[in-house]
Amino acid sequence: MDPMDAIRQTFFQECEEQLAELESGLLAMQGGARDSETVNAVFRAVHSVKGGAGAFGLDDLVRFAHVFETTLEAVRSDQLVADAHVLKVMLRAADVLADLVRASRDGQVLDESHASASATELASLGGPAAGPAIADDADPLASLMFQPMMVEAAPEPDRWIVRFRPRAEMYAKANDAVMLLRELARLGPTSVSLDASDLPDLATLEPEGAYLAWTVQLQTDQPESSIQEVFEFVDCDCDVDIKPADAVMAEEPAAEVDPNADVMALIRSLQAEVAPEPEPAAIPEPILVAVPIPMAAPIAAAAPPPPQVREEAVAPKPTIRVDLDRVDRLIDLVGELVINGAMLTQRVGEAGISRASAVTVALDELEHLTREIQDSVMAIRAQPVKSVFARMPRLAREVAAMTGKQVRLTSEGEATEVDKTVIEHLADPLTHMIRNAIDHGLESPDVRRAAGKPEEGTVKLQALHRSGRIVIEVSDDGAGINRAKVRESAIAKGLVAPDAVLSDEETDNLIFLPGFSTADKVSDISGRGVGMDVVRRSIQALGGRINIASRPGKGSTFTLSLPLTLAVLDGMVVTVAEQTLIVPLTAIIETLQPRAADIHEMGDAARVIAIRGTYLPLIGVGAALGWADPERSVTGGVALLIEGEDGSRAVLLVDAIQGQRQVVIKSLEANYRRVPGVAAATILGDGRVALILDVDAIVSDARGDAPFAETRAELGLAYA
Amino acid sequence: MEQSSDVGITALPPVLDLTAAGPLAADLLGRRGAPLMIDGSGVQRLGAQCLQVLMAAKATWAADGNYFSVEAPSDALTETLAALGAADLVFQSTEENPA
Repeated sequence: MDPMDAIRQTFFQECEEQLAELESGLLAMQGGARDSETVNAVFRAVHSVKGGAGAFGLDDLVRFAHVFETTLEAVRSDQLVADAHVLKVMLRAADVLADLVRASRDGQVLDESHASASATELASLGGPAAGPAIADDADPLASLMFQPMMVEAAPEPDRWIVRFRPRAEMYAKANDAVMLLRELARLGPTSVSLDASDLPDLATLEPEGAYLAWTVQLQTDQPESSIQEVFEFVDCDCDVDIKPADAVMAEEPAAEVDPNADVMALIRSLQAEVAPEPEPAAIPEPILVAVPIPMAAPIAAAAPPPPQVREEAVAPKPTIRVDLDRVDRLIDLVGELVINGAMLTQRVGEAGISRASAVTVALDELEHLTREIQDSVMAIRAQPVKSVFARMPRLAREVAAMTGKQVRLTSEGEATEVDKTVIEHLADPLTHMIRNAIDHGLESPDVRRAAGKPEEGTVKLQALHRSGRIVIEVSDDGAGINRAKVRESAIAKGLVAPDAVLSDEETDNLIFLPGFSTADKVSDISGRGVGMDVVRRSIQALGGRINIASRPGKGSTFTLSLPLTLAVLDGMVVTVAEQTLIVPLTAIIETLQPRAADIHEMGDAARVIAIRGTYLPLIGVGAALGWADPERSVTGGVALLIEGEDGSRAVLLVDAIQGQRQVVIKSLEANYRRVPGVAAATILGDGRVALILDVDAIVSDARGDAPFAETRAELGLAYA
Repeated sequence: MEQSSDVGITALPPVLDLTAAGPLAADLLGRRGAPLMIDGSGVQRLGAQCLQVLMAAKATWAADGNYFSVEAPSDALTETLAALGAADLVFQSTEENPA
């Protein structure tokens, strides 16, 4: 990839993070948070987007972000009260900013009126600096270069001497000194002097080297952290030294400072001295400021406290960005290590070495360590679902506005972590489900009122871990699925026979059929040709499942259940029709030896088994997979009592249990294709390939559930 | 020096970002040894690395005793040079001819 493209891509990734911060901050403010930390976080988010956009010459973005930032600054400095109206405007502005970012990323041109309407709205909120910034539409940054912002309300500004010397790496990352200088100028009036003393002859100059250094005298009422923020992007690639002006002058013998003298006059004299001909002597040996945030505390302590010192953010934990390919490579390698360990254990066993021997003990330790490495590596890929959830409030606002409904979107469990791949594939299905919940689920305000419900409907988004999987629920308190209409529509489309007898659950599940859509509900929002069948398919592709629970008049709940990781699994190794299969341990409750007396035939092929007073379906795995004759005797085998995603229990019959082990999941889909009844494959210690059983699919198939009706035919093909 | 006849004239490209620094330096080096007038009217963006090239060129031409100027700067160029503290790169008149 072109290095510039890579940098650009990183910038847009960071933008997405900032936009999420922005939105969650604004929502927190809407929820009553008024602390300076939240306001600062919101401000920083917009500021960072602007800074990066400036570096890439994304002028539209910079211009809008600037207006937004100005309004936020007014809030930050208590000149504008962030009431409900202000926050609403700001949330809209956040949406516009997100649109601008995405349009820039995708190289699209956005309708200008979109941004300008929002900018005007922001400006109309007042805030002393908002007006002029909008009036000057040519280059808001340039216009501000020598304009102190918010002079009236500002306390006595502080003066700072900022020296910085970029390194070649900084330029190589598409950061430019111009951007830094403009950002500094935004904080207050500056005087810039350039040190070109290191600049060589043109013939020896390395065009992409770094030879220049700058000294900026800055007058600002912003805290030192704001100055440091300017250099946030360039971090280690630029030597930066930020000092209060009086401290610098005390250091410099040239200036004999009377501590009581007018500092401003001194600045001016110093300026006059330095400005025309940059004085190399004034540039001290570069001081490396590696990580600006941890530096904040000691500097603030040493420097005279700037007025209006606000509580600074708790320093975020340092992070690095790593190419995903590298992590995946690591995960692959650890997977190989696990397989190799299993092989080694097997060899040791075959060699007849005692289980109590030192070798075996050491092998156990190795296995333990390998597992820890695996967990740690998987944790690198794990991300909180917040990144997806954070996109939903905006969607809810938009859909609500389009449908004229009132919606409150609440979310829970945002910190629940799940593999990055799963996260990436969650956004589309979730988007669709939220749209559906608002457009189809919730009633209009007057209907709700008539039904004795609050006018504002609630859509709840929830994530939680349940037995080794992540469960995501989208529930609404709307009317529930209109089963009569669903049935009618399915019959009209020929999806079910007119005389079909369907349970409520089966009727609800009709909405997952391809081509299903209730005719009078096709709208701008939901009727985009993407049906719930697509949602189901994309969830299934991730090894997940989707269920509906709907109560007429009370609402519906869609439950997604997804694997936490797509890489490893604890499984029970079983034999079925002379084949080795893995049954995920999370599904197994207990194992038992079935007795003939407990087994009862039900109709043609179905059998149930009595376990402690309840009857559960008994499913022969070999028969279900088409490997064994369904009529064969069930005794002599081993029964596994399992619990499916939906809590339903069944008993699986296998021939024998070999043992229990952790296996590395190798996708069948990626290497072959999806096989119903089989979740994935793995490699065993002896090098053989074993299939991992998809327990829920087997159980659903045996029950003859509509969504899995097609599986038998496919299964026949797969194993013919 | 036959300034009037031999003066080289070149125009700066609109975007002088980091990718433009190498080509700009090569182009200028190729013009070394003769007076040079550079047209800055088309510049929309200037980065610090291209500024380095231009400043090094200016010093090199001065050392060679040749005339060098950046003229008719665009508003963007003037503004960026001011922001960079390098407003003196641009000459408006030949009086500052160092030769």
